[in-house]
Amino acid sequence: MSDAVTAVPEVATSSDVASRTLTADAWRTLHRRPDTIVAAVILAFFLFVVAFPGLFTSADPQLCMISQSKIRPQGFGATHPFGTDAFGCDVLAQLAYGARPSLLLALVVVGVSLLIGVVLGLLAGYYLGWVDAVISRSIEVFLVIPLLLAALLLLSLFRNVSVGSGTFNDILLPATVLTMFGWMGYARYIRASVLEARGLDYVTAAKVLGASDVRVMFRHVLPNAIAPVTALVPTSIAGIIGAEAVLAFLGIGVRPPAISWGIMISNGAEWVTGGYPHLLLFPLGCLIATVLSLVVLGDALRDALDPRLR
Amino acid sequence: MGRYIARRCLQAVLTLFLVVFALHLLTTLAIQLNGNPALAFFGDRVPSATQLAAVEQRYGLADPCFDQPGNPCLGPFVDRVVAYAQGDFGTNLRGRDVTDIVVAAAPNTLRLFCIVTITWLVVGMTLGSVAARWRGKAVDHSVRLTSVLIDAFPVFVLLVVYRYVFSVPLSNWAEDRFGQGSLPALWFRPSFDDAHPWATVLVPGVLLGLAGSAAFVRLVRASQLECYSGEHVRTARAKGLPEHHVITHHVVRNSSVPVVTAVGLTFADALGGAVITEGLMNIYGMGGVLWQAVRASDVSLVVGVVTILSIVTVVVMIVVDIAYAALDPRIRYE
Amino acid sequence: MKTTRMVAAAAVTVTVVLTGYSAGGSNAAEVGGAGEPITVHLVLDQDVGTMLPMDSNVDDNIAVLDVVYDGLVRYDPATTEPHPYVAESIDTTDNVVWTITIKPDLTFQNGEPVDAAAFARAWNYAAYGPNAMANNYFFERIEGYDAMQGETDDDGNVTVEPEADTLSGLTVVDDLTLEVTLTGPFAGFSTMLGYTGFFPVAQACLDDIETCAVQPIGNGPFQVEEWQQGVSLTATKWADYTLDETPNFDRIEWTEYAGASDWPDFLAGDLDASFPPPAEQAAAEADADLQSRYVETPGAALTYLGFPLYLDGPWQDIEFRKAISMAIDRQGIIDALFPGTRVPADSWVVPGGVPGGEAGTCDWCTFDPDAAVAALEAAGGWPEGEVLIISLGQDETNEQYFKAIGDSIQATLGIPYELNPTPDFFANRADRAFTGPFRNNWFPDYPLNENYLAPVYASGDPEGNTQFGYYNADFEAAIAAGDEAATLDEAVTQYQEAEAILAADFPTVPISFSVNQAYYSERLSNVVLDPFSGRVKLRPLVVTDGE
Repeated sequence: MSDAVTAVPEVATSSDVASRTLTADAWRTLHRRPDTIVAAVILAFFLFVVAFPGLFTSADPQLCMISQSKIRPQGFGATHPFGTDAFGCDVLAQLAYGARPSLLLALVVVGVSLLIGVVLGLLAGYYLGWVDAVISRSIEVFLVIPLLLAALLLLSLFRNVSVGSGTFNDILLPATVLTMFGWMGYARYIRASVLEARGLDYVTAAKVLGASDVRVMFRHVLPNAIAPVTALVPTSIAGIIGAEAVLAFLGIGVRPPAISWGIMISNGAEWVTGGYPHLLLFPLGCLIATVLSLVVLGDALRDALDPRLR
Repeated sequence: MGRYIARRCLQAVLTLFLVVFALHLLTTLAIQLNGNPALAFFGDRVPSATQLAAVEQRYGLADPCFDQPGNPCLGPFVDRVVAYAQGDFGTNLRGRDVTDIVVAAAPNTLRLFCIVTITWLVVGMTLGSVAARWRGKAVDHSVRLTSVLIDAFPVFVLLVVYRYVFSVPLSNWAEDRFGQGSLPALWFRPSFDDAHPWATVLVPGVLLGLAGSAAFVRLVRASQLECYSGEHVRTARAKGLPEHHVITHHVVRNSSVPVVTAVGLTFADALGGAVITEGLMNIYGMGGVLWQAVRASDVSLVVGVVTILSIVTVVVMIVVDIAYAALDPRIRYE
Repeated sequence: MKTTRMVAAAAVTVTVVLTGYSAGGSNAAEVGGAGEPITVHLVLDQDVGTMLPMDSNVDDNIAVLDVVYDGLVRYDPATTEPHPYVAESIDTTDNVVWTITIKPDLTFQNGEPVDAAAFARAWNYAAYGPNAMANNYFFERIEGYDAMQGETDDDGNVTVEPEADTLSGLTVVDDLTLEVTLTGPFAGFSTMLGYTGFFPVAQACLDDIETCAVQPIGNGPFQVEEWQQGVSLTATKWADYTLDETPNFDRIEWTEYAGASDWPDFLAGDLDASFPPPAEQAAAEADADLQSRYVETPGAALTYLGFPLYLDGPWQDIEFRKAISMAIDRQGIIDALFPGTRVPADSWVVPGGVPGGEAGTCDWCTFDPDAAVAALEAAGGWPEGEVLIISLGQDETNEQYFKAIGDSIQATLGIPYELNPTPDFFANRADRAFTGPFRNNWFPDYPLNENYLAPVYASGDPEGNTQFGYYNADFEAAIAAGDEAATLDEAVTQYQEAEAILAADFPTVPISFSVNQAYYSERLSNVVLDPFSGRVKLRPLVVTDGE
């Protein structure tokens, strides 16, 4: 791979042919790498758990008998394969049903904020002028209050507002707040990259050849600007899953008796030294496995999509 | 360049005003929705109407607009802005000056941030450069793996495990080995000690920094990789310059733009992590103060502290923008 | 080559630094020796906000003020019986007019005399409505209180200023004699006088009340040396203290902890008394050395479940409340989550802890799943699709406790529940904003069973008191009869009858009484816990060596 450093970088000439080859090439590269396949399988597994938790456990995570508290893992086939927590709730059931709030929240937040951030960043960096002024000011105003602090402020503000129950409603408030304060990072990086790229020759060339603004933005500027951002996305998802744990730790996340991985980690962190490490290790293990898969996939994606690194 | 700075400063003032207004609206709405914080004063007792009125007066919440949900309370807002312009940032519910609280709490948070930033830079630059230099090899993969693993750990897990499992044995060992009150014993003290602020903030800062360093590592790696494939690096190598010269003078410097951006951004971001760290390690800092104030609906304290924080953040952002423009001539546009 | 040299240099530097510091590592002043102050390191669980006795009603500032000030009366740690301390005697013939004589030649830490005027100025300041002091309502029983409150309209605006700024029932007869006239007979008045709200203050304190709230001028064995709000509070021995109860150590250092646990600091030797969080309890119990430094006393705080009786719902039926009460496995929950830190409650007044407290006044406070299900049926069952919302303040241990309680109710009766922990708990409770049962905690101010009953349930308002919506004329009558009783013993019996009426009406469900526990360091001995606050009693404490 070190010879990629000395290889002549390919210049994208005709946009149509180049992009089709790019995507096709990307797909070919992706599905040949073994680590990518493993990561994709793990991720698919967890998404499957999110969709059909009932297939993995017959116990109800919210039916907790205090007489059955703190049972150690009994292995598959027993009543409590992964044991129970301090309240007597089945750990496997909690893992299965708790995947939903955590993963769904992360996917929704990162997806939406990426979209908003990329679009606004492109517009600001490309058009400059008053568009840039407005967007940059908005970025600043939102940036001045940090993400977690904004989450604390807003979620504490709306603490007495109930939106009903059910998984989607449980995560609606945190999702809104985290998205509102999560897009600025992407926008700023994209804007900076666009500013760097807009003066480069191939952009000028594309414009001279008559390409429309949208085409130039998405076909020429974006693929080169996206590199630092794709490096961020998997860690952002991990960050949101972690942020959900922090919100649970601070008491402004999902409320009992509803369960999430964040709550399990937050409660389990205390008991790891009390002699019950399984209460922390199981949810943390799931979280790390998910994050790892996402990161591997993200890296592979970035490597495959970057035209200069092929 | 001068015009650029002047323009940025004017924009900053506007931003600040908008932030204070937004905060005021939010906190006023919070009181109107969540109930009067004066009621919490009485705890388990039931106050009479007169007693409640007296406490509201004492808290500065006597204005009837606080009882009407949706009322923007412009009167108190104007009073507050006028006071801020004169340097009076108000008092908390108990009558303690906000500036006093900030003066007492801010240094601890700044110390924490200092350690965190140093940790980020050290870990990020070293590991990121190493990973970029030997891209594709085992080192690269293991660095990436480690950074992801660390990133996946929520910071409170690191802190709780450190505090309950490691700090007591380490602290006792250090006391036996180096004596009570010695520097290593202070480093491993389970809680913050105001009498030795730098020594006892070191470990929490490093842990908090580690927890957030993965993004830095990846960022440094990604931007350096871009540089490696650039023309200027090929030229430098063709000229026969030694590899480490190429790395330090051509790769690192040119890949620093996103890193500088990140430093500016993370200053604001780190405050969130500071809330957790300060709470768990008992550091009297801005994060903890703000968190308690939000929960107690202490309007003056919340708005005052966030305003002061905003001023600092905006100043930092201006500095970052100027550094930006100084580092990369292509970015200076007028 | 260059790299190797750099690494070598770094290694040398590090070694030098470490060994250098180890040589001068021991800080002589901290190790202690002849002439060094003996310091006790303790904990405050929160930032208390004020050190004014008239404004202090929380465990933490009460604990500090207990050594900085002396009251007319102090309570025996073991029996909770009051004995006169600053007062020479407290006499009455009819339980309405009380004559208090004060010991001569006592002074404040700034030289001012502790006389009748000192008490009168403190009490008048606290009773004056617009001062908004936390202990204002303690003076309700003294004649002239109403005239000091003023009136407000429905919007909370003051319409009528208070007529008086002194209590008409409070007379300074001479320097050392105070005469108090109550609005009605109350046998427990002398017992009440030991409470923090009744401490005296110096004139210099009222002249600059803001400084006094941070740097109090007390009359007790210790004076506040420095208070860094939110961080730590230090008190040193007052050399000129003349009364008996004065400890053998010189300095107390309280560290403020806002939420973090102080247990690791205790294990590391930085604190002298602490108790582990639930997860660490088992490890502490297994440690024989720690167990030899463990002390436990029954506590006096009651945790109980209230119902919104001002709102229509299944809880209006007494059978429903019985069902809920019998569905809670109190002992099982306590054993699983925090063994030994609480005892299941079956009365509304702590048994044995205060005069008049008896066990077993509650008939439906034991775990009985079958009886619970039967009672629920008798009440008409729980409406389909509805969720029981249990509200409480935000606190990790309480949230765990009530999650387990909710789980118990759900498992026994099949009622789905949702926990609602909110920092606005007090505001919501006073506003009657709850739509389901809610947690309450009652902490007595003075040792008398009346204090568990009257302030909580007796309002004199037939519409029902604010918090629970409960009213019973017989209950009010029994309380009034107790107030008017000739002797304290007769009063206590009357109050017990009031508790029996409460038990029959069953408006609230007692859950558990607190247990005070602490582990202490090797330097301490004669460690006695205050039955009310659970804190280490500082005056009888003996500290054995320096630091």
